[in-house]
Amino acid sequence: MALDGAFSHLTIEVSDLDKSEAFYLDVIGLDLLGRDMVAENRPTSLLALNTRQRVLLVEVPEVPPYPASGGSIHHAWLLTMEQFAKARDRLEALGYETGIDPRQSFRAVGEFNMDIHDPDGNRFQIQAFGEEGTEILASGAGTVACGKFGEFAPGSVTRFAEGRFFLVRNRDGFLALSAWCTHKNGITAWQKESWHYYCPFHGAKFDGNGVYKGDMGCQPLRLNPVSIADDGTVLVDTGRFFARDGYSPSQAVPARPGAAFQCGGLHPLAVSFEKHVGKAPG
Amino acid sequence: MAEVESISHSGICVHDLKEAEEFYCNVLGARVHSRVNFKTQDALRGRSIHTTLTLDDYVFAVMLTEDWMEVPDAGQLRGANRTRHSFCVPKARFPKVLEMLEAVEVPFEGPVMHPEHGPFGESVYFRDPTGNFLEVLWRRDEDVVYSTVQPLGHGGGG
Ligand code: FES
Repeated sequence: MALDGAFSHLTIEVSDLDKSEAFYLDVIGLDLLGRDMVAENRPTSLLALNTRQRVLLVEVPEVPPYPASGGSIHHAWLLTMEQFAKARDRLEALGYETGIDPRQSFRAVGEFNMDIHDPDGNRFQIQAFGEEGTEILASGAGTVACGKFGEFAPGSVTRFAEGRFFLVRNRDGFLALSAWCTHKNGITAWQKESWHYYCPFHGAKFDGNGVYKGDMGCQPLRLNPVSIADDGTVLVDTGRFFARDGYSPSQAVPARPGAAFQCGGLHPLAVSFEKHVGKAPG
Repeated sequence: MAEVESISHSGICVHDLKEAEEFYCNVLGARVHSRVNFKTQDALRGRSIHTTLTLDDYVFAVMLTEDWMEVPDAGQLRGANRTRHSFCVPKARFPKVLEMLEAVEVPFEGPVMHPEHGPFGESVYFRDPTGNFLEVLWRRDEDVVYSTVQPLGHGGGG
């Protein structure tokens, strides 16, 4: 079976309707549609977001306690960056702490978050995604000398943490895959046992050649140009990035001295930040 | 205009991840987006053990509770236990959804008709195997064009 529907509303039990309604209007920034518009045998207040989604507050005599480890129960308000800036000002003016994101290490670049609790202790994320999430971030490592090409076995994936790339030797030669996730600039990790790159920020997966597998519509991992010096040293230029639509063997640099990256058919990308090491989960 | 676009996701707690995945996927048609299980590095670094599911345009991070979570009596089909998630379907499909719930033997309460001056039409109420409450309804404002809910990928962390 499939519902084939859409999310309609979140019902939240509250112990004091007036107090909670004021919180959701003045602090969170929802709109009031009205009271008692829904078939509940308790007082209710219906609030609107800008999309079809609604929030229904229901006043109950007692809000049930969370499990002791209930800190993982939460809901996330999605704001535009403009709304987020306003929310931060509003929250600060009201005396809320906004600077600390307790789970910062799990956020991608350009993912902004504030945690807030409602009067009954429900935890909410207030989140927004900025442009940094899709910008091209150079590591500042310049050209990295990885070692002699013979040191990398066919089938190997070697992570260069400082340069933010993976050196891949596949059957066609060498690829340097930028570790920045093409979704929102998380940092991907190679999961050998699953034979894919995994981004823990929102779960994107990329196959061994860095091609996205899934339904978020992400581009393949970007390429940093590889060349092999006459003495056999594999060099990766971490200051240049190329986008591609998928994998083709011509993207790989043959394993022989003097071989160089061919950028024909690939799209060069302008670097937004010359040095940005970001946050790595692992 | 409100100052918030949408709710991008929720983290909810369950007692059995596999059972929850089966319910949300097989009964409601959700898809598994990703899993943070006992093996992954981020789990070892303190991230909650969870499965991220997409159900229609909503993301549930289904978290394994670290200790027993009190749930209402098994016979209670309608409630909130702090929160309840509700999904709307077109009015024309609503009877089909009831048939489908019956076919997969998910007990529900309703349909319950809402007042005409509100945006909701008719609802049925049920729960997942742990006891998180859910609702399916049709809405009187189904022809109103609202701004689009941003797609999957905005969130899912927790
Ligand atoms: S940043 Fe979102 S999945 Fe990688």
